[in-house]
Amino acid sequence: MSPVKIWRNQKHFVKLIGKTGSIISWTMIRVPPDGFSQQAPYPLAVVRLDGGVQITAQIVDWEEKELKTNQKVTTVIRRTIDAAADGVIPYGIKVKPI
Amino acid sequence: MNITVAGVGMTKFGELWAASPRCLAGIAVSAAIKDSKIEKKSIQGIFVANMLSGMLGMQGHLGALFAEELGLSGVPAYTVEGACASGGLAVHAGVMSILSGQYETVCVLGVEKMTDHKPELVSSALMGAGSNEERLAGATFPGLYAILARSHMEKYGTTEQQLASVAVKNHFHASLNPLAQFTHPITTEQVLRSSCVADPLKLLDCSPVTDGAAAIILTKQQKASGVHIVASQIATDSLGLAGRKSLTELASTKRASEKAFIQAGVERKSIDLAEVHDCFTIAEILAIEDMGFGKKGEVGKLIEQGAYTLGTAERIVVNSSGGLKGCGHPIGATGVKQIVEITNQLRGVCGKRQVKNARVGLAHNVGGSGATAVVHILRK
Repeated sequence: MSPVKIWRNQKHFVKLIGKTGSIISWTMIRVPPDGFSQQAPYPLAVVRLDGGVQITAQIVDWEEKELKTNQKVTTVIRRTIDAAADGVIPYGIKVKPI
Repeated sequence: MNITVAGVGMTKFGELWAASPRCLAGIAVSAAIKDSKIEKKSIQGIFVANMLSGMLGMQGHLGALFAEELGLSGVPAYTVEGACASGGLAVHAGVMSILSGQYETVCVLGVEKMTDHKPELVSSALMGAGSNEERLAGATFPGLYAILARSHMEKYGTTEQQLASVAVKNHFHASLNPLAQFTHPITTEQVLRSSCVADPLKLLDCSPVTDGAAAIILTKQQKASGVHIVASQIATDSLGLAGRKSLTELASTKRASEKAFIQAGVERKSIDLAEVHDCFTIAEILAIEDMGFGKKGEVGKLIEQGAYTLGTAERIVVNSSGGLKGCGHPIGATGVKQIVEITNQLRGVCGKRQVKNARVGLAHNVGGSGATAVVHILRK
């Protein structure tokens, strides 16, 4: 991803830091796209944040019993896709069960 | 509406390593022109449906490329892209061009070359159909449809066996279609035992990576005989799943089909067969329910009972071609292939997979996880 795009994305996701919400539905990605092979398998969820905004995000720091609909989560900042050749590390929003 | 499907043609679908996109397009368009009995020089416009050529093959500008390749240089030509709905959108654009009065005869070509590239790259390129947020989250299309599947299972009790029965049905239909990618039947056990791609979806719940092309020749209607397009409708929704009110339906499918039934002036019960967008098994269940061919939450069970299968269908046969699952899913070609199948069924030339007394058919093509839906209704 281009460094400029990473910079623009940061302005967007800063608004989503520290929110809580709950899992609407989820899956476990076992065959990842390019740039995610080191993280697979990983759970992915659609989450409804308190206030109504919905996001699609990876679940991190999870235990088996927390992978369920209505599980409460909080948003955290984590590395996302593998860094491209230019070396800038992309960060984004993921969710953590609480 | 006064559009006639004058000619149809398609290539074999599958892993066609020896064939280039030019070669695939040539076969499909030549077959469609021959079938139409219209002279090639009568074609006034070319609509090319493709999603991945720019990303995977580094080749854009497909309108001019295929006009030249097909010996139609000089003819207006352009590319239509709407992810997996590119084919349906190109058919719609072709229909609109005739309705506008600009052209009388046009060619719609859907073509995709996918197997030249490694799976991770194809998977990433396909995510071009999703939202930026989904790409940054490491989502894949099997993953997004798996999220829809889990919602449906939790809300309505749809089972993994019922999902598997969609793949079993469509492989059975494909086994009767010599141009299908998979011509072997499969069992529910094989689907359930196949490796997990994105829980609860397994490998055999997913449509394959496919090379192929399909083409149709559309003309302004001259006579009552033949197969006609009587409705062509599109609806859109949020690009990503997170923007949806419900994860147990595709609102775009509902909207496009409602508009299409009104435009065609036909009722659901008049439809004899449908090609629906079964990119994943859950997608066929959603399609049948959202278009009103079965009650919400009950279609999984009905498919398992054979209610939409050739030979045992109660009122409508779904995906007689084998669908995306069995016939294959060359992205841009799929929506055009659906029109090829419905046309051949209405003409009564489908041999072993012929739906008896087929008079009215429907084609349903989806882009992404439901951001675009295209519905066509055809009758003879």
